[in-house]
Amino acid sequence: MLEEFGRIVVATVIAWILFLSIDIFWRLPQKGGVSGADAIGTAISRHGGDRNGGWMMGNIICSPDASAGTLLAACGVFVAGIPGGIAAAVLVYVGNRICHDKGYAGTSGALIATFIIAGCMQIGFMASDFIAGMVLAILTIQGLSHTHASRLIGYFWRWRA
Amino acid sequence: MSIALYGAARTVLEKETLLKLPFVNVMNFGIAGLIVFILPHPLTLVAAAAYFVGSTLEANAIASAIARRKQE
Repeated sequence: MLEEFGRIVVATVIAWILFLSIDIFWRLPQKGGVSGADAIGTAISRHGGDRNGGWMMGNIICSPDASAGTLLAACGVFVAGIPGGIAAAVLVYVGNRICHDKGYAGTSGALIATFIIAGCMQIGFMASDFIAGMVLAILTIQGLSHTHASRLIGYFWRWRA
Repeated sequence: MSIALYGAARTVLEKETLLKLPFVNVMNFGIAGLIVFILPHPLTLVAAAAYFVGSTLEANAIASAIARRKQE
């Protein structure tokens, strides 16, 4: 039980770093991609959060981005191995088009996550750890404090830009 | 199993003002994970993806509707 807990914590950290770096690589915090994401970003910045961080959170909410890609890739690897992860990437691509998102963060995130998860399974992790880890990672970004999470993302974004 | 608790906790925590959507998003992540956990079958992946894309689309619709109302 303790061992499983430790694996989930490590998977959370890996998933957190993975989706944040891919999202920032695809310049998600630069602007609100769709009008809904824009509105969420402005609302968060009005409550004392960071504007770029808010936009990125809005983009995460309004379209399947790298975080959704990581989650669905973990699910795909869980049910069907590496082909499942690639199928998840295709589904995320379709989802991006449905949501009028022009980016490729979700698709590339799902593909990269598939191979990272498959690699971690070689050293004793389980794909279910990554499903739990990804939910925990998104919880730390979206579910604890909008203000602090958006400031953290904004800090990373200025460091990249 | 553990995911179920997170999803439920997020639903309760979702008592915020206009900024509810991030909490709903967390809940959607939890549910999408739960769907696959409960039914480990390749087709479940399609169901989870469809649910998740639908939920993001819905969140987008809500947020943009609020944005449009504010502009008027």
